[in-house]
Amino acid sequence: MPKNKRSTSLSILAASAVLGAMALTGCGGGHTANVGKTSDGILRIPREDTATFTSNFNPFSPTALPMTDQAVFEPLLIVNPMTGKAVPWLGKSWTVDPDGKGVTFTLRSDVKWSDGQPMTATDVVSTFTLAKKIQGGYSYLSKVSAVNPTTVRFDFSKAYSPGLYEIGAQVIVPEHVWSKVSDPAKFTNANPVGTGPYTKVSHFQTQSYELDKNPNYWQPQKQQISGIEMLAFAGNSGANLAFENGDVDWSDQFIPSIQKSYVAKDPAHRKFWYPTTGGTIQWQLNTTKAPFNDVNVRKALSMAVDRNQVATLGESGYTHPADCTGLTDGYASWKDASIVNSCDWTKLNVAEANKMLDAAGYPRGANGIRTLKSGKPFAFSISVGSASSDWISVAQVIAKNMQAIGVQLTVSSPDWSQVVDGYSKGTFDTGIVWTNDATTPYEFYRGEMSQDSVVPVGTPANEDYHRFGDAQATTLLNQMAATSDPAAQKTIVNELQARFNATAPAISLFPSPVWGAYSEQNFTGWPTAADPYATLSARSSTTTLVLTSLKPVK
Amino acid sequence: MRFLLRRLGFYLIAFWACITLNFFLPRLMPGDPVSRMFAQVQTQMRPDQIAALRQLFGLTDKPVWQQYFDYIGNIFQGNMGISLSRFPTPVSSVISSEIGWTLLLGATSLIIAVVLGNLLGIIAAWRRGRFLDSVFPPLLVFVGSFPYFWLAMAALYLFGIVLGWFPLNHAFTDGVEPSFSFSYVADVANHLVLPALTIVLVSIGGWMLGMRNTMIATTAEDYITMARAKGLRSGRIMFHYAARNAMLPSITSFGMSLGFVVGGALLTETVFAYPGIGYQLLNSVQALDYPLTQGIFLTITTAVLAANFLVDIIYVRLDPRVRVS
Repeated sequence: MPKNKRSTSLSILAASAVLGAMALTGCGGGHTANVGKTSDGILRIPREDTATFTSNFNPFSPTALPMTDQAVFEPLLIVNPMTGKAVPWLGKSWTVDPDGKGVTFTLRSDVKWSDGQPMTATDVVSTFTLAKKIQGGYSYLSKVSAVNPTTVRFDFSKAYSPGLYEIGAQVIVPEHVWSKVSDPAKFTNANPVGTGPYTKVSHFQTQSYELDKNPNYWQPQKQQISGIEMLAFAGNSGANLAFENGDVDWSDQFIPSIQKSYVAKDPAHRKFWYPTTGGTIQWQLNTTKAPFNDVNVRKALSMAVDRNQVATLGESGYTHPADCTGLTDGYASWKDASIVNSCDWTKLNVAEANKMLDAAGYPRGANGIRTLKSGKPFAFSISVGSASSDWISVAQVIAKNMQAIGVQLTVSSPDWSQVVDGYSKGTFDTGIVWTNDATTPYEFYRGEMSQDSVVPVGTPANEDYHRFGDAQATTLLNQMAATSDPAAQKTIVNELQARFNATAPAISLFPSPVWGAYSEQNFTGWPTAADPYATLSARSSTTTLVLTSLKPVK
Repeated sequence: MRFLLRRLGFYLIAFWACITLNFFLPRLMPGDPVSRMFAQVQTQMRPDQIAALRQLFGLTDKPVWQQYFDYIGNIFQGNMGISLSRFPTPVSSVISSEIGWTLLLGATSLIIAVVLGNLLGIIAAWRRGRFLDSVFPPLLVFVGSFPYFWLAMAALYLFGIVLGWFPLNHAFTDGVEPSFSFSYVADVANHLVLPALTIVLVSIGGWMLGMRNTMIATTAEDYITMARAKGLRSGRIMFHYAARNAMLPSITSFGMSLGFVVGGALLTETVFAYPGIGYQLLNSVQALDYPLTQGIFLTITTAVLAANFLVDIIYVRLDPRVRVS
């Protein structure tokens, strides 16, 4: 489940943060915004992280243009993180082998490429050959074969039922086009042929481009928008300004005080929805270093964190404290209520935290700071990338909270690449870290406490930076991968939650919100809390569902 | 001629030093492009894709000296490589798609600021203590010392939002096909007004003050008194005798600034969402996109050196003393 990152991450320099504030105060004035232009049926969407576009509609490229995977190409199925349900898309139906060692997809027979040729199983097979070659991954996938023109069989080398969703999310490309490309990895695909609703590139300029209707779309009744226009902005402030001024219809970058700066200018049409279904944000402790290998220390530190303050100061109150299952709200249907209700170590309790640290053998010294068993003071650092101003506030709140239990925490905020380098090699003390976020909680728990994802310090890790592995959890995860029965998976996930609660592999802080706001001036039919058929992200797989649901206002 | 050849030799050495620094500086930054990209997209990328991505980007473990010679060789073949943050677009196409707007904005605002600033400086010095001289320098220095982004936001708010005279963003109306028609050119000009105006506002004070001060020194020279004694027209003395001699430092600064125009105007691009190379440079540095960073720095280096060489040539023409020495 891809999702948009908090827009303050990485690509913005400090000055533009100030600019954002300027934009906000500058536009909070008493005038009425110029609400909406005359509708021409074109859906306008800003992109805040690039000042210019260069043509690249190659879905295998990590830097493909926005809407490549959303409007031009389509996957076999689309999972809606709001409900956890999979919506059949190019794949009409599918079955997972009971032992989790393979998947069979039945394709829709009425799908045509935008050049008029029919889409068949051969296209799917060649797509996976290309994806494995160019992007890597799919290590469990041993063979992909076309059984007949509408049936594709995926054989796995090991039991791996979560593979269904990874395979289902892969966008499919036409074999008859890509087989003629000499180097697919370096192909920019300026005139893409896809199955998506909007495939025709027009008016391609450095500052904007338009995608017009696919003349051969398989759901013509769902092509109500006449086209999509993407606009480039160098930073949030410009994109927010265009949005507040009514020049664009849909925006999924972070907007500070959105109620006042955006909604208040036209409450009848302007709405926002920030569901907290993004990945869980954690404070990870490097368990290869003492005293973080002690579960009681991890729990005590967690109890000293004021998560309400973290959510209010660090995340503008757009989220809420995480619970002891570690799971984000996107996994609401998986959560075991009995565990959630009995959470203790994720609730603020400074007295208990102090008591636990005393009992664990970390006495307070004369200056109020506790002493480690090595005789050194209980002092360490919390890493966070310098570009993520929101997460830096989070780290500062935590550092302040730690004073109450005699733990000295210093915020270290160098550049993200340096931070990630420390995470990956296992040299960090503690840090603010995102977590795996896929269709089922399998990937999340694998990255939290599987022994298989633990690598030695010095070897680069791509998940489980805190290097925690639990034998029982590893067995449970393997069992989950080996079954395709939803009821059995549910039972296993309950046990995983209990294990997470018992071992406290990392300190979950809050589920991250998925930003999204829109205007009903020109289009209606947006996903809402009452009708959560997708998120309001314009860069996730559910974006396709939004694009095929919107209707222009007459 | 010998003078020019000597200068040319100097520029070649400077160029070599620049491209060498250009190669080593980005590599001194911590981290590598793939982990940077991974941190940026966070959960959008599967962990098992990282190795494949390294290979795709051609991030090899070749010894640095070998990479260095490959790099030098490629530069002389005009091959700047493939951008990593815009993979698989070649660096040259990324730069060429943006440089046009950067040059338009940068050159327009620079020329307006230089011409207007120098004219004001000449007149202010010529009529010392009068209205122009006592009001403009402090006023322009005052305006120029505003933080640029504040001034730009204020201008955008006032003229763009409240009054609605000028568009809020981009270089021309989105979706319009570029052509050589009057309406398109007018559209581009309309979009250029606010970004260029704000740059002119903050930079003009420096030009005016610089010119005024050298001009005052020149007006005290004997040859000005001589010219007056001959009974030449005041305007002729002002421009042909005083200003021509006072102009030299301004020409040097102009050459420098001209070179730096290709570096883009980061804050202007951010505030007015004007397409250009400044934001791209910032992005490429943050993404550790070595080829693109090197490509942009190379462009800037070349432009600065070329502009300076041009100034040297103009100097020969303007200042006879250079020719003699």
